[in-house]
Amino acid sequence: MTPPPASDVDLFADDVLVDPYPVYAELRELGPVVHLRKNDVYALTRYDVIRGALADWESFSSTSIAFNPMANEALTGTSLASDPPVHTQLRATLTENLSPRALRGLKGQIEAKADALVAELVEKGSFEAIDALARAFPLEVVADLIGFEGHVRDNMLRWGQAAMQVLGPMNQRTAENFPIAGELYAWCSQVKATDLAEGSVGRGIFDAEARGTIPPDTAGHIIHQYLGAGVDTTMAAIGNVVALFGSHPDQLDLIREDPSRVPAAFNEVLRFWAPIHAWGRRVTKDVDIDGTVVPAGAQVAILLGAGNRDPRHYENPDAFLVERNPVDHLSFGYGPHGCAGQGLARLEAHAVIEALSRRVKRLVVGAEVRVPSNTTRSIEELPVLEVIPA
Amino acid sequence: MRIVLDRPRCEGHGLCEEAAPQLMHLDDEGELVLDREEVDEADAALANAAARVCPVAALRVV
Repeated sequence: MTPPPASDVDLFADDVLVDPYPVYAELRELGPVVHLRKNDVYALTRYDVIRGALADWESFSSTSIAFNPMANEALTGTSLASDPPVHTQLRATLTENLSPRALRGLKGQIEAKADALVAELVEKGSFEAIDALARAFPLEVVADLIGFEGHVRDNMLRWGQAAMQVLGPMNQRTAENFPIAGELYAWCSQVKATDLAEGSVGRGIFDAEARGTIPPDTAGHIIHQYLGAGVDTTMAAIGNVVALFGSHPDQLDLIREDPSRVPAAFNEVLRFWAPIHAWGRRVTKDVDIDGTVVPAGAQVAILLGAGNRDPRHYENPDAFLVERNPVDHLSFGYGPHGCAGQGLARLEAHAVIEALSRRVKRLVVGAEVRVPSNTTRSIEELPVLEVIPA
Repeated sequence: MRIVLDRPRCEGHGLCEEAAPQLMHLDDEGELVLDREEVDEADAALANAAARVCPVAALRVV
């Protein structure tokens, strides 16, 4: 067997992080797996190969989801970075309070919060969508869910962003964010039940620990994962909702005409702009991909956004079309490690899309500002210049 | 053919029910119930669609 094709693309260069789609297309055409010499990783680029790798935890180990050894070391022992059989119990513990089953009772509250916030913004007539909506809403939902109060609430944004940045290679962004991610880790290591609001899900996790439903000393780690994984990505997705509806008024009209298209619209937003750029795996043995071999021990970069635009799987993949309802998009990953918080993410995003499509006829948006970020691809600033109410 | 559910892995996302409400549903507790495990050729496409959308790969058609 031959080695995979190689490329000198730097996956974590500033311009690639800001707009990776031209590079995704270039790599996807080179092959389903491409050796990136500068990053010393094997990038998976096409839909079928990515979905296959995500399902095949025996060949593609999660012990190296980050692109630097320090972050992988720090994640050791979490469900995120474990393989079955250890992973199975950790995952069950993590999802005990996070699965759609556990969250069903929160739907009404989340919808009411989204509607109140959207109503207020529509009333204002113009606003900055990232701070006022994309960040404000998930921060409020997650803070209330876990029961955060006081200074923790104020730190959620920077802690959540740092937790994703440090998964990159050891570049300047990673180095600068390690101390901030460390603050989050330190706080989660000492948090007690009484630090969290009564009746919150966070308090419930401590109750479960006290009852013995989950293992001792796991509550803090679970809260760490809620914050580390659940904030930055959801903010990215909601920012993308506003930007894409602003730039595609015809697609917003389709949802306004038929609100049952809300879930389809969110699937298409996630497919079109994946919140996560690259996610790591390590191959446990020589793996054959379409006749080329990825050598045992190699670091893999799964390019979720490249798979989501693969013309072999999606017709006309570079068009934003809510009616395609791509239920099998890759942005939540897939399989045993599929995003544990996707149920909550759907509740939040569906609530925002539903409220927007009911209250807004058209959003006139200005130019979006993006800054390079190692893991999460999101909009930094997005002016909504004018809201035309429904 | 038969639908096989890996119950410990199922987290109740419910996407399978949306794809194939004729074959399965979430009960009041959010637990997945397979209303039909044995499926014939006519329902094969539905069963496969349900297995395909499961985000945690908890369903298989064998």
